[in-house]
Amino acid sequence: MNQLREFREVMDSASGQPYERSGVLPSSPNRLETLLQNLPGMAYRCLNRTHWPMDFVSDGCFELCGYHRSEIENQSVLWGDFTHPQDIREVDRKVRLATEQRQPFEVEYRIIAKDGTQKWVWERGRVVDIRHDGVAVLEGFITDITDRKLSEAAYIHANAFAQAVVDSVTEAVITIDNQGHIESFNQAAQGMFAFRSTEVIGDQCRILIRTSNYREFDQFFKHCRDQLDPGNPARPTSIGMETRGNKKTGEFFPVHLTIGPVQDKIETKYVLLIRDLTEQKAAEKEAADQRELLAHADRLNTLGETAGIAHEINQPLTAISMYANSGLSFLDRGPKDLSRAREALNKLSEQAHRAGAIIEHMQKMTRPRDSRHEITNCESLIRDVHKLAEVEAQSRNFVIVLDLPVKIPRVKCDPIQIQQVIFNLLRNGMEAMESCSSRQERRIILSVRVIKDGINKTMADRQISDKQTIEKQIKISIVDKGPGIPTDVGEQLYQPFATTKSSGMGLGLSISRSIISAHHGVLEYANNPSKGATFYFTLPCVSLDALVDQTGE
Amino acid sequence: MVQKVFIIDDDVAVRDAMGMLLDSEDLPHVGFESADSFLGFYDGNQSGCLVLDIRMPGMTGLELQKVMSKFQSLLPIIFITGHGDIPMAVEAMRHGAFDFLRKPIQEPVLIQRIKQALNVETNLQSRKLTREKLHDRIDSLTHREFQVFEEVAQGHANKAIAVTLDISERTVEVHRAQVMKKLATRSIAEVVRIHIEFELFKQFRNPPRNLLQKP
Repeated sequence: MNQLREFREVMDSASGQPYERSGVLPSSPNRLETLLQNLPGMAYRCLNRTHWPMDFVSDGCFELCGYHRSEIENQSVLWGDFTHPQDIREVDRKVRLATEQRQPFEVEYRIIAKDGTQKWVWERGRVVDIRHDGVAVLEGFITDITDRKLSEAAYIHANAFAQAVVDSVTEAVITIDNQGHIESFNQAAQGMFAFRSTEVIGDQCRILIRTSNYREFDQFFKHCRDQLDPGNPARPTSIGMETRGNKKTGEFFPVHLTIGPVQDKIETKYVLLIRDLTEQKAAEKEAADQRELLAHADRLNTLGETAGIAHEINQPLTAISMYANSGLSFLDRGPKDLSRAREALNKLSEQAHRAGAIIEHMQKMTRPRDSRHEITNCESLIRDVHKLAEVEAQSRNFVIVLDLPVKIPRVKCDPIQIQQVIFNLLRNGMEAMESCSSRQERRIILSVRVIKDGINKTMADRQISDKQTIEKQIKISIVDKGPGIPTDVGEQLYQPFATTKSSGMGLGLSISRSIISAHHGVLEYANNPSKGATFYFTLPCVSLDALVDQTGE
Repeated sequence: MVQKVFIIDDDVAVRDAMGMLLDSEDLPHVGFESADSFLGFYDGNQSGCLVLDIRMPGMTGLELQKVMSKFQSLLPIIFITGHGDIPMAVEAMRHGAFDFLRKPIQEPVLIQRIKQALNVETNLQSRKLTREKLHDRIDSLTHREFQVFEEVAQGHANKAIAVTLDISERTVEVHRAQVMKKLATRSIAEVVRIHIEFELFKQFRNPPRNLLQKP
């Protein structure tokens, strides 16, 4: 019966409650034995001495540590022997402290079972007696909590991982309770809203929304609470909206936010995921602007090109119409004027052919085509483009002055492309001069010079090369009297979309430059000593023979 | 003087076709390939109207219009343009263009406008002549006669005029008869009308088209 008393106390200490109140008082030693055998753990009595020698353990010890009850009770192994070396000191400290204070103790520690596996155990015990030699007698209960510990560790790990994820995302991740109070506020959120998490936790989450969007957000949140149900797979997992966020500084910015539910123990909470759309919106706007600009430029370009053509073609059309009318009038006037009517019709026909020729030329100019390099009479090329540009120059009240040498060698080039480059440079020049608003000197010089290749070479080099083939080039310059190119613009000028003009895209120069490099030439510019800038490009001449032969036919 | 249509267009075909069109309407015409060549020919005495291409190499149509206005030319100007751009049309009309037509031209409209322009020019010329005649007459008055003319036009009686000018009433009567004779009028009412016209004439030194002023 002594044992019974002892185990009553053991159970007492294990459950933290006296037996009597639990109402399951064992009725016999046999029942008690059965109870102890079925306990998920081990009851014990030991001395509070080094390694806790045990004089009684219950049958559960085998399952717990792999040693037989007898091995422990005859003290061939001591409990302390298989307590984890890293934990034993802490266990000892706690037990000692509890003993001195006559308090029950409760410890969690690791043991190494007989088969070498490591287990987590939970132990609760207390002093039941003090021996005459002053050594305390302890009784208590030890149970295996390895599973719980592992899942705890897994939980902590998972939690840490989740936290790391939450902290590393660029979206603001904010958890709120059912009423919309902020419970957590990740790093991205702190960066996005310039609030520290401590400043906003507990506040209504709508302080993160621009004031004028409160109503909208409140309705949205209400809608979310109605619609979202984490227990119901038929419901959406989150709902999103676009609105404007509000920074601590009072600035607002476009955001996309989604709300998703999280089932907590008591109530449904929500995760608020907020993405800053500022950059995205800016990019979208920029893209839209760019598209608009491109479309505009395209229209302008087409218009610009056709303006010259339109003028050209309007002339024969005007003449045709007038010849037709006069023809009719002469016919009405009877036989004496028949010859004049015939004359009118003949001239009309001529003008119709003239119009056709212009259209054919226009198609040549505008039809997308491969670059076709042919040996070209440079002078007629220049004169053609001059004639074309003259139309535009007149309408802008400019004069294009041609400055050609007596003889220009032939070059191998795509004449249309080169004309486009020249036309583009002339137009740039006119625009530059218009922009600086000086009304005097509305003249642009289009000049051609023949130069030797390697101007920068030393005399010696040149003498050697003179004896061999002389590589000659022609240099075509467009000289304007505009404001010139600011020195800090530099190479940037040739970049696509770099422009100093209020209208236009900044594509002209970059395209021109690539055309010239495809012709093995260079396109450069220099500011004039007096005023304005000179854009020039070079084209290699065909050969020495062509140079001597000249542009004869 | 025979009215002529002066065609100024750098495009030879357009010039020729327009000439033929005017031939078919029996309208006399002369063609010029540029504003400069027209100005080399024009001496201020030609009568008719201008059909002017607004864009030409060298002097543009608008510039020629300004020069003509400096000459106080009465020739109405019909502008022709391939580009019906509004600012240019506004500019041309503001400077007193008779019309502004787009290429290709509605020929019946062109013919009609040319004929109207020629009529307008005839009227302007005759009014100019009347003005000039009137001006010449007033110029022929002596200083004293001019004073009497102004007093009479104010409706003052001979006696009052004599006091104002400090001359005898008899002398006023002589001057007055002389004024009536020189201005070729018989009634006081006519003298008053002439005076009003003269005053108006002084007032509008710079009428929009400079058409009413004696050069």
